[in-house]
Amino acid sequence: MIDRRPGRTGGTRRGLGLRSTVALSFAGGAFLLSAVLSLGTYLVAQGYLVSQRELGATGAAFVDASYVREGLLRGDRPVSDVLGELSLPADSTLFVELDDEWYSTSLSLDSEVVPTEIAKLVDDGSAGVGWTSVDGVPSVVVGLPLPALGGGSFYELTETAELDRTLRTIAVVLFGFAALTALGGAGLGSRAARRALTPLDSIAGTAARIAGGDLETRLDRTHDPDLITIVGSFNSMVDALHERIERDARFNADVSHELRSPLTTLTTSVQILQRRRDELTPVSREALDLAVAELKRFRSVLEDLLELGRLDAGVELRESAQVDAHELVRQALTASGRSTDLLAPTSDDGRKLTVEVDKQQLNRALVNLFENADLHGGGLVGVRVGSTDESVIIDVDDHGPGVPKVDRKRMFERFVRGGSRRSLPGAGLGLSLVAETARSHGGGVTCTDAPAGGARFTLWLPLVDPEFSRRSP
Amino acid sequence: MPTRLLILEDDDRIRAALRLALTDEGYDVRALASAEDALAVVGTEPIDLMLVDLMLGGMDGFTFIRTVRPTTDAPIIVLSARADTHDIVAALEAGADDYVTKPYEVKEVTARLRALRRRSERIAPSGDKERLVLDREHGPLLFDAGAGQVVRGTEPVPVTVTEFRLLTELASPPGRVRSRQSLLESVWDRGFFGDDRIVDVHVRRLRTKIEVEPSAPRLIVTVRGLGYRLDPQ
Repeated sequence: MIDRRPGRTGGTRRGLGLRSTVALSFAGGAFLLSAVLSLGTYLVAQGYLVSQRELGATGAAFVDASYVREGLLRGDRPVSDVLGELSLPADSTLFVELDDEWYSTSLSLDSEVVPTEIAKLVDDGSAGVGWTSVDGVPSVVVGLPLPALGGGSFYELTETAELDRTLRTIAVVLFGFAALTALGGAGLGSRAARRALTPLDSIAGTAARIAGGDLETRLDRTHDPDLITIVGSFNSMVDALHERIERDARFNADVSHELRSPLTTLTTSVQILQRRRDELTPVSREALDLAVAELKRFRSVLEDLLELGRLDAGVELRESAQVDAHELVRQALTASGRSTDLLAPTSDDGRKLTVEVDKQQLNRALVNLFENADLHGGGLVGVRVGSTDESVIIDVDDHGPGVPKVDRKRMFERFVRGGSRRSLPGAGLGLSLVAETARSHGGGVTCTDAPAGGARFTLWLPLVDPEFSRRSP
Repeated sequence: MPTRLLILEDDDRIRAALRLALTDEGYDVRALASAEDALAVVGTEPIDLMLVDLMLGGMDGFTFIRTVRPTTDAPIIVLSARADTHDIVAALEAGADDYVTKPYEVKEVTARLRALRRRSERIAPSGDKERLVLDREHGPLLFDAGAGQVVRGTEPVPVTVTEFRLLTELASPPGRVRSRQSLLESVWDRGFFGDDRIVDVHVRRLRTKIEVEPSAPRLIVTVRGLGYRLDPQ
């Protein structure tokens, strides 16, 4: 099977992901909108508050001015006395200019704080309102002419620290609001993007499961009009794939089954001849030997095919038993008529290496490795059983020229044979059966160079702890 | 006297080849294509061993085995396609003693036949008078190796040849745990790559015959991870 890894959705890997992009757009939009609204709100509020403050100051100034005017008209009293009688709030200061003489209720402030444009207005005989700054505190200045006193002017200056504070508070609140809105927008965008991407995630997950061999998996049906098409297409694609794989497997199984009966008859008949070998002429004997040898090969290929068919059909392990890996290898050597001397003495100080396998399937896989070594590798040199923390490792070394690096993965596919070994027997099913048997047991098989030259086939299987996973008999 | 062997196989050529090969090996062979004919033969002629294909036209192999089992204790070997693994267990449960998968070699078949035949001869009454009370409370249930039978009270319990052999192994001596592997070797002559399920199914069959409550066995107990043990009560 071609190695297709899920999860490579090109383009999104470089730069920002789709979700981040959507979240950022939402955040930016929300911030812009709320910033414009906040600024508008601030300006309106500021304008209103300032004009209210000016109105209040003007009203107070008229009252105070008329009081000063009355006080000065009533008798010949000094200006400072009249001013002193007024009970002014702490943040207000009065200035009176009479006959080019300035009087003030404050000791620290002088008439310099009155803006010249207001003084000019008042000199021209009209009232003026304006703003100035006293030691950094914004203050409103109201100027009134005093025509009843024969020329003169009245100024009331009010510090508006509280207005400034209020405006600052409003600004902070509004800015905070804008920032919160931006954050909310980002969250909303992220959620929306995630919501929009969930179907994609589920498609990727499903595809990964299907690639992993679970062909029954389908996407859940949906009523979302935006998704119906993609879900439908995906599921029909998997259906087609599934059907195709099943058809191939069924064809394989059918052919094998059809071949089984004639082969049984042939084998049985030839074995009768073999029993009566002595009655045959030398020529017939030679012909019989050829037939026997070819039948043996035929049978071996058919058994591999049948076994592959079973693995394809996904039948659960026929019979899984816990066995010692050394014993398994020793028995496979014996069963195939090989010497157990080929099994290297263990360095694992006799520790039992337990694997949970279908003994017959593993026997077939191991014998295929031995036969491969004998047929293509110049002879089986040795078998070694070792282990890591989690796996049992079985090394099968041969004496041959080794396997070129380019062929090392490909050779475990069906009906692939090394180009240089085309004339040698072996249909090229053996190694694929080894690979698929190993895979179905949760292990694998690889090919490397043997330390002593030649090729080394390494079959590994998960190590089980018999103390913890003892099956019930 | 040659061993009388019945072959039930509906593929004409396979049947003919098997008949030839096994006759050549010295068996007295009756080869038949239909289960109905085979039932008639078993009813009228003494048969020592049977080779039965599962896929037959008409009555299938499972039904044949179930029908014939109560009338004979002759060993039955099933000829099966390896892919049909559920069929193998079903056939064993129906009463078969062992199986061979197609494409088989004659020497595999004769090895199985020899193993089962040898054992079936072993239970013939001999000088060995070993008797063992399996269950005092219910019966009593008596295992009589000498007479080759199991008796509850006065009634013989109908165990097959292979079931009896299994019981004999478990009883020598009773109370010892026997692994499936060792039972497979001593009762079926099967090696390391033998199928443990043969033992499991036979133990199950034996329990239904000798246990008072087969679902809660007290005579043949399962020892987790090790095998089986015979505990006379």
